[in-house]
Amino acid sequence: MLNKVYDWIDERLDITPLWRDLADHEVPEHVNPAHHFSAFVYCFGGLTFFVVVIQVLSGMFLTMYYVPDIVNAWESVYYLQNEVAFGQIVRGMHHWGASIVIVMMFLHTLRVFFQGAYKKPRELNWIVGVLIFMVMLALGLTGYLLPWDMKALFATKVTLDIAQSTPLIGDMLKTLIAGDQHIIGAETLTRFFAIHVFFLPAALLLLIGLHFIMIRKQGISGPL
Amino acid sequence: MKRGKGMKFVGDSRVSINNRKPNIPTDYSEYPGKTEWFYPDFLLKEWMVGAVFLIGFLCLVIAEPPPLERVADPTDTAYIPLPDWYFLFLYQLLKYSFASGPFNVVGAFIIPGLAVTALLLAPFLDRSPKRRPLDRPFATGFMLLAVAGIFYLTWEAAAYHDWEASKEQGKIRDVVEIDKENPAYGILEANTCLSCHGENLEGSVTGPPLVGTELSAEEIMDIAVNGKGDMPAGLFTGTEEELQQIAEYILSIEE
Amino acid sequence: MSKEKQSGKEKQDISRRQFLSYSIMGVGGFMAAATVMPMLRMAIDPVLKAEASGDFIATNVKVDEITTEPQRVDFNFEQKDGWYESTVTQTAWVYKDENGEIVALSPICKHLGCTVSWNSSDNYPDKFYCPCHKGVYDKDGTNVPGTPPRGPLDRYQYQINDGVLYLSRRASEVGGE
Repeated sequence: MLNKVYDWIDERLDITPLWRDLADHEVPEHVNPAHHFSAFVYCFGGLTFFVVVIQVLSGMFLTMYYVPDIVNAWESVYYLQNEVAFGQIVRGMHHWGASIVIVMMFLHTLRVFFQGAYKKPRELNWIVGVLIFMVMLALGLTGYLLPWDMKALFATKVTLDIAQSTPLIGDMLKTLIAGDQHIIGAETLTRFFAIHVFFLPAALLLLIGLHFIMIRKQGISGPL
Repeated sequence: MKRGKGMKFVGDSRVSINNRKPNIPTDYSEYPGKTEWFYPDFLLKEWMVGAVFLIGFLCLVIAEPPPLERVADPTDTAYIPLPDWYFLFLYQLLKYSFASGPFNVVGAFIIPGLAVTALLLAPFLDRSPKRRPLDRPFATGFMLLAVAGIFYLTWEAAAYHDWEASKEQGKIRDVVEIDKENPAYGILEANTCLSCHGENLEGSVTGPPLVGTELSAEEIMDIAVNGKGDMPAGLFTGTEEELQQIAEYILSIEE
Repeated sequence: MSKEKQSGKEKQDISRRQFLSYSIMGVGGFMAAATVMPMLRMAIDPVLKAEASGDFIATNVKVDEITTEPQRVDFNFEQKDGWYESTVTQTAWVYKDENGEIVALSPICKHLGCTVSWNSSDNYPDKFYCPCHKGVYDKDGTNVPGTPPRGPLDRYQYQINDGVLYLSRRASEVGGE
């Protein structure tokens, strides 16, 4: 049955070259934990991506209950966590996943760095990777405010004060991020929500796409 | 796209009928036991690692409910903020005298800026073709220093932070409707009880809630006069009768 | 001759291609600008919006009640946060200095925006102390050198009407303006 479906699509779209390219790309011996156990260090990148997938999915489902409004934001989080079946699990996945993804990415970065895998010809992919790291940190920062609880508000206050202490453009920068010159409130929350849910994930998916295309094109760096 | 005579196409499309690539895996038999296919051989191994990882992750998620503090209250000026753990080292950096006060720019922009720029441009700073960590001592050394610095700063920040107070200050407190018209409430207010125990007696960082204390009237009167724990003696300055009144009042809102 | 013609034609071809690619850039630039410009203007609106001029807010403190010891004064006003209107409470530490001048200091730490309070730490009597990073300020709000804050505490402007203290909505930087 599946084969028939495959043939039907292949007849019209000729997908075999694409599929064989993906399925047959060789995995060299030195990254295969079946041959060398130490090759587990090559898993960190893949695990990072796995957690990113969990983050995207759980985030999408969280927005079914969450409202980015200072009157209702906390109430909606409290409700989804305490009244909705498995709400605590889904929020837990998003909350802990945010930490785990940083850990995995940190390990992945160290692996690539200490193996010198960023050297020619992989300079561009390293730069894209560092940008992914920055986007992830920004996602963590903006997501921290969304539950609108005490630590969210006051940690964001500190962040915005740091932004404000930027030489020359500090005040403007703070107003741009917070939506108001003095208040951390309704406009800050909607801004952070938009950045956390639309702008940064869009940038993240684009960068991850580039990251993967470059890995496929250049292959995994050779053994040390 | 291949062109030429004898090419046949599906309908009026550009997908050819003959010359189709057969759907069979590439032959890697020249390298026995070394190279293998991504799908399905290697992907299965990756997914097995992923599955084990997922089990651990789900255990964490089930064991530790995600924290939620009480709703944001911008007027609570006693709250001591704490960023997410992976920003703690930056937060800690801003405490040192060489990175704060007039040198705030150093701590907030120059040091992190230099670090990020160096990380971003690592391939152009470390250009030798050598890849082993020991063959490039500068790159390895700087990275080890940076990692050690991050660990040290995070640890310092965590050690300095008062986690007990932190937990207390963010607790979700049940606010019970209390009768504020009762004259006893006015007595509490006049004796500054509310500034620590909260306007709804829900408690705060400095004082426990007075709702559901499970104390007897005598004990309440004793604590009001003689204090307890951090509460000094002599805070209550009213008459004996008023003392009786507030004890009864607090007992009445016992839930 | 045919060669000449050919090269001439080639030249024309290149310039035609160039013309077309310039046109593409132009049309593309227009499309990008026309779609994104309104969005960007909308996003940066808070930065360009002129702030409503601050009037003075009455506190519940009578001027003759103010002593030389800083006291905490809370005052309320209506605040408009976009579409969300609320009553907010601001805090000031108010006292009279040696010359009898009223000083109203903001409690916002100039380091990272925590809240300072007067005489709250046993280690720093008669100072403003910030519990977050151990920032210390003198009574007049000057930051003690060697502690994290970047400058002195902000000051509220004040007015006196009928013996009652009125404070400005926002504290402003000392020596800033």
